[in-house]
Amino acid sequence: MEFCREFVQELEQIVGPAYVHTDPVDLQCYAFDATFEEWRPDVVVRPATTDEVARVLRLCNEARVPVIPRGMGSGLAGGTVPSPNGGLVLSLTRMNRIQEIDEVNMTVTVEAGVITADLQAEVERRGLFYPPDPSSIKHSTIGGNIACNAGGPRCLKYGVTKDYVMGVKAVLADGRVFSAGGKPIKYVTGYDLPALLTGSEGTLAVVTEALLRLTVKPTVARTAAVAFHDLDLASQAVNKVLWAGFVPATLELMDDTTIHTVEEYLHIGLPLDAAAMLIVESDGRDERVVDDEMQGMVEIFRAAGAADVRVAKDEKERDALWRGRRSVSPSLARRRPHKLGEDISLPRSAIPEAIRRIKGVAAKYGLPIAIFGHAGDGNLHPNILFDRRDAEEWARVQQAMAEIFAIALELGGTLTGEHGVGIMKRPFVSQALDPTAVEAMWRIKRALDPHNILNPGKVFPAEVTG
Amino acid sequence: MMFQPRVENAVQALGERISHDDILRCIRCGLCSYTCPTYRVENCESMGPRGRLALVRALIEGKLELSPRFAEKFYDCVLCAACTSACPGGTQSDAMMLEARRILYKAGLAPEPIAGLLARLEAQHNISGEDNAGRLMWSSNMERAPGGLGRRQAEMVYFVGCVSSLFPMSFSIPQAFSRTLDLAGVNYALLGEAEWCCGYPAYISGDVELARQAAAHNLEVIRSAGARQVVVTCPSCYHVFTHIYPELLGEGALAGLKVLHATELLADLLEGGALRPAGQAVRVTYHDPCDLGRKSKLFLPPRRVLHAIPGLELVEMASTGENSLCCGGGGNVESSAPSLVESMAARRLAEAQDTGAELIVTACQQCKRTLTSAARKRRVRMRILDVVELVWQALSAEG
Repeated sequence: MEFCREFVQELEQIVGPAYVHTDPVDLQCYAFDATFEEWRPDVVVRPATTDEVARVLRLCNEARVPVIPRGMGSGLAGGTVPSPNGGLVLSLTRMNRIQEIDEVNMTVTVEAGVITADLQAEVERRGLFYPPDPSSIKHSTIGGNIACNAGGPRCLKYGVTKDYVMGVKAVLADGRVFSAGGKPIKYVTGYDLPALLTGSEGTLAVVTEALLRLTVKPTVARTAAVAFHDLDLASQAVNKVLWAGFVPATLELMDDTTIHTVEEYLHIGLPLDAAAMLIVESDGRDERVVDDEMQGMVEIFRAAGAADVRVAKDEKERDALWRGRRSVSPSLARRRPHKLGEDISLPRSAIPEAIRRIKGVAAKYGLPIAIFGHAGDGNLHPNILFDRRDAEEWARVQQAMAEIFAIALELGGTLTGEHGVGIMKRPFVSQALDPTAVEAMWRIKRALDPHNILNPGKVFPAEVTG
Repeated sequence: MMFQPRVENAVQALGERISHDDILRCIRCGLCSYTCPTYRVENCESMGPRGRLALVRALIEGKLELSPRFAEKFYDCVLCAACTSACPGGTQSDAMMLEARRILYKAGLAPEPIAGLLARLEAQHNISGEDNAGRLMWSSNMERAPGGLGRRQAEMVYFVGCVSSLFPMSFSIPQAFSRTLDLAGVNYALLGEAEWCCGYPAYISGDVELARQAAAHNLEVIRSAGARQVVVTCPSCYHVFTHIYPELLGEGALAGLKVLHATELLADLLEGGALRPAGQAVRVTYHDPCDLGRKSKLFLPPRRVLHAIPGLELVEMASTGENSLCCGGGGNVESSAPSLVESMAARRLAEAQDTGAELIVTACQQCKRTLTSAARKRRVRMRILDVVELVWQALSAEG
C-alpha cells in the first residue's frame, strides 16, 4: 500500500511530525511481535490522547486504511503484526498515564499504554493489588492485556484480565469515542461492552483507557515444588487439592522435557527423574492461615503419591523455585533457534491424556516438545523447538501444531487460553467454534467496523472474511 | 551514492562478525525494553534493544540498507548493557550494538558530532580538543600541589582521565582524590600531558584503530614510570583498561600491572585504618555507574567506602546493582542527542528522590555531570557527589 504525501501530512497534523514514522528503519521495528511473523507496516503513528486516536481512526476509516493497534508488541499469536497488505500501526505506548487510584472503591483508571508491571508497582505502594500476571508483565501494556484477555499463573485464584475490567473508554472505527461500564460492581444497564472488547484483539474498537478493579495486596506467600513419577497421579492430586476446598494462588505444571531443559540451564536441583513437577503457591494476609493451607495441600500431595515435596523455607528458596518456572521459555529458546509456544486450554481432567498424546506427536515428527502450563486451570503451553530455516523441519512443525490443536478440540478443550488467535491460529478457528457463533461474531465485527479497517486478517478465518 | 561500495562491504563485514544464529538468539520477547533507558523515555520500539536488534537482523537478512537514520538508532544507545543483563536467553545485545557502530563508522555513517569527537581525539588525544598540555590544570589552584605532580617514577600511577582533567566542573574529583592519596602516604605519579584519552570514546564510536593506539601509548608511559599499579577515578577508564585493552593488544596487555578503581583502594585504606574520616550524618543513595557496576562488576567497593564513613546512612534506589539505571551519560550520546540524555537523567533523579536521600553519591565524573546538570535544569533539589569527594569531605572535616 502506497500512501500519498497528503495522508501522511494529515497524520502529522494530528499527532505531530515527530510521532509519524515512514522511514524503513522505523517501520522495520514495528513489523513483528514475539512470534516469528513479520510484515512491515506503511506508517507508524504514536498518538498521545484519545482525541488523537479518534482523529487518526476517522482519517483511516475514510481512506479505508487498515489500522493495527499495538502496545509493547509482546503478543504470541501475531496479533499486532501488520498483514501482508501493510497498513498503519497505531502504537499506544505514549498513552501511559495512571490517571486515578481510587482507594475507597479500590479501582484504578489508566491509559492503555501503561506497562502492567508499572501499574502493579504503583498500586502496591498503597497496599492495593492488580492480580493478573502474564509472564510479560514487564513488557506488555494494559491495552494489550485487555485486547488478549491476558491470564497468568495467578488466575486460578484471582481470575484473568476480564475479571478486572470494570469500564473502558474506546474509539470506534469511524472515530467516535465512547465510554462503557463504571465503578459500580453490579452493572447490568445494557450490554457489557467492556467484556465484549476484552479479548477482541483490536478488531472491534481501540481501547484507550480502562477502569480496573483492584484488591488488597497479599502480604504472605508460601511456595512448594512437588514431584511425581506419574502424570496421572499428579493430575489426580491437583483435583484432590481443589476438592478439599483449597484455592492456591498458583498451581503450575512442568513436564519431564521442561524439567530437564530448565535444569540444564540453571542447575538448581530440579528432580530429573520426575514425570511432572508442580509449583504450588498459597498466599494471603494471615501467616497462620497461609501456613495451614500449605500444610493441608502438602498432606494431600503426599497421600496422593508425590515422590518429593519441597516447601521453600525462606524467600531465597521461594525465589529459586519461581526462577525455575520463569526460566522455562528462555531455557527452551537456548536449545533451538525458534520455538512455537502454543497455549491450548483444556478441561482439567484432560491434562494427562493431552500430555500423553502431545508426547506422541513429538515422537511421530521427531521434534522436541516441552509442555508446561497452569495445571489448576487446564491451560497448557506445548512448545515446539525447531529451526525455521530448515523448510522440511518447518513443514513437520506445522503438521505437529495442527495435530496438537486437534488433540485439544477432541478432548473438549480449545485453541487458546490466553494468547489469542491473532494470525497464527486463524486457520483453526473454524474447527474450534460453532459456525453460527462465528457468524454472530462476524456480524458484531461488521456492525462496529463496517469497512473492516481494525486489525484485519486477525481472528476470523479467511472463509468468513471473504 | 558515494558511500555505496563502502556500505556493501560494511554489511558483509557485519554478517561476518554477527552470525544469523547469534541474532536469532533474540526471541523478540521484549523484556529488554523495560530495562532500556532510551526505550523508557521515548516509549518507541526503534529506541529499544529489541528494535535495534531487529534492524541488525534485517540488515543481515538483506531486508534493509544502512542509512543515516539507521546510524542514529545505534548512536542513540547509551551502551549501558542493561538489555544484555536482562535477557533471559543470553543475547549479547550490547556487543551487537557496538559491532553495528563499528560498521557504521567504517561506512562513513557516524553522526557528525561523533566524527568531530574522533577528530579531536586524533589531534589532541583528549575528548575536549584542548591542548593536551593542559591536563594538569585541575591542580593549579590547589593550596598544596599534589604529591604526584612532577614525580617521574612511582609504584602507582593515578590515571586521571579526560573529563576530570579538562572539564572544570569535575576538577574537584582529582583534587579530592590526590589529597586523599597524599594524606594516606601513597606514592603515586601523575602523567600530565603524557596521559592520553583511554581510548574508550573512540572504541565505542567505532574507531577501533584509534582506541588501539591510545591503549598502546598509555600502557607504555605507565610502564616507563616504573609503575606496577594504575588507579583510576573514572569507571570508563577502569572498564577499558581491564576489559578492552586485553582485547585490543592481546591477553598479556596488562602483564605486571594491577588496575584499581579508586573505590577499591579507598575501601582498603579506610578499612585498614590508614584513613580516619569524621562522622557524616547524612542519608545518601548510591548510583552505580554502568561501566563500573554492570560492566565491570564492582558493586561492593563503593558501598564498602560508604559504610566506612561513620554516621552515613545508605539507602538503595529501586533499580540498583546489576539492575541499575543508566544516568544517560553513557555511549557518547551526549554528543549527538543531549535532550535524550536529560530525559534519562530525570528518570534516575526521580528514583533517587523516592529514597528520601539528601545526596546522590556516585563513582563517576560523567554520572555526576549528567545528573547535576539535569537536576539544575529540572530544579531537583538534590546534590550529587563523587564518592572520592565525599571521602575527602569526611577526612578534611576531622582536621
